[in-house]
Amino acid sequence: MQRRTVLQLLALVSLLAAGSPGSLLAASSCEAEAKRSGTDSTRYFMVLAARTGVFYERSGPSFVALMRAGADDYDVGAVGIYAGANKQPVFGPVPAGSYEEMLREARNSSSDVMLRLELNPAQYERTLNVLRLWERRVREKALLYPDIAMDNILLVKQATEELNRCSRTIVSYNLDWGLQDDISEHNTPLRIPYEYFKELKRLNGAKHVPDPAMPPALLAATHSKE
Amino acid sequence: MNRRELFANVTGVGAHSEAARACSGADIVPNVPLRTHENVEVRFYDDLVKGRQVLINMMYASCESYCPAITARLVEIHKALAERMGKDLFMYSISLKPAEDGPAALKEFAKMHGALLPGWTFLTGDPYDIETLRFALFRHNHIKLDLDTQAHTGKLRIINDAINRWVHVAPFASKATVLQHISWADPPKTLEQRLEDNRRLQEQIGKEVEQFGYRKVI
Repeated sequence: MQRRTVLQLLALVSLLAAGSPGSLLAASSCEAEAKRSGTDSTRYFMVLAARTGVFYERSGPSFVALMRAGADDYDVGAVGIYAGANKQPVFGPVPAGSYEEMLREARNSSSDVMLRLELNPAQYERTLNVLRLWERRVREKALLYPDIAMDNILLVKQATEELNRCSRTIVSYNLDWGLQDDISEHNTPLRIPYEYFKELKRLNGAKHVPDPAMPPALLAATHSKE
Repeated sequence: MNRRELFANVTGVGAHSEAARACSGADIVPNVPLRTHENVEVRFYDDLVKGRQVLINMMYASCESYCPAITARLVEIHKALAERMGKDLFMYSISLKPAEDGPAALKEFAKMHGALLPGWTFLTGDPYDIETLRFALFRHNHIKLDLDTQAHTGKLRIINDAINRWVHVAPFASKATVLQHISWADPPKTLEQRLEDNRRLQEQIGKEVEQFGYRKVI
């Protein structure tokens, strides 16, 4: 199977990421989402994956991955925190070698969490825009916080909240550091996405797409290193 | 079947990156391109902040609650410091809604509130750059507060880049308090100036003790 990096996407990234998530995503609006015919056979997925016990304070990688499977091709990509050299946390587009293994069904339920959700095309586009915006911020060294863990929290919050922008797709958890937000209250910033994904999986377990229901090409993509 | 990576092969940012350690003005203040109310393109750090003492707030032209009141307070501050404005002290009001606020809308807002004054510039730009600027200057390191753009209209950031001093004050504080905070970022005074300030202060304290029996001035 052939892998290629599409550099032309970079130009598109600049255009799409020209606004803040709120403003740019409003443009793709719920009207367009409602007008979609649904005849397209392409399938779209978001994967929320995190692990504990990797970094110095027992947290680990956590990222949002997007997958699209068309008739002849498929796209995969993830942005978030992964383990760099010496198991130091690094924030940015996650290398394929780092995300592939975590996109499979979790083997160790005590240290891993993985929630795979099927999206409609509009949800996919919106979340892709969020991830591309963060990719641009990494590329231009224009992150919003001095702590990459905080940037990652904002990324996972914005990406997951895009799912419910037009209609209630998932049962959400309000990750806002407010008084009702126990996850942020009781965890270090690096661990918050893991606990957040775990809670989303608890609330939306029925929507998780198991391996047998995945397009074979995408499933194979998570095993390409084996 | 062809596989395509969605994201470019960009090197990620580590937890202890250069950016995270940096602490001087050029590393903290984003040098983003902005447009003034006179429709002139500027670079925020290079053209407006570098080596200067500046007061920065965020607003938007259609804001009907805090922004007019804060702008009125800033007009008072400008009057109190009129001698310095445009010389060694500058004011910048940055739009929180850059998609709505073009240079003309900002100029109209400034005119309506009597804020077309020397040394005071209203700024707009690309939403991505404004967001970068907003977090760099006003973030709380708290997700909820940082996402509340409305809350950012109620803050005044004071920076003296030449001495790398940052001060923050709520513009709704008393005029004296705001002026005091601005003075905390003033350029260092000479020994003669400080001795003169002390002499005047002691003179005032002496008068108050004589009149009221205790010191009133802080």
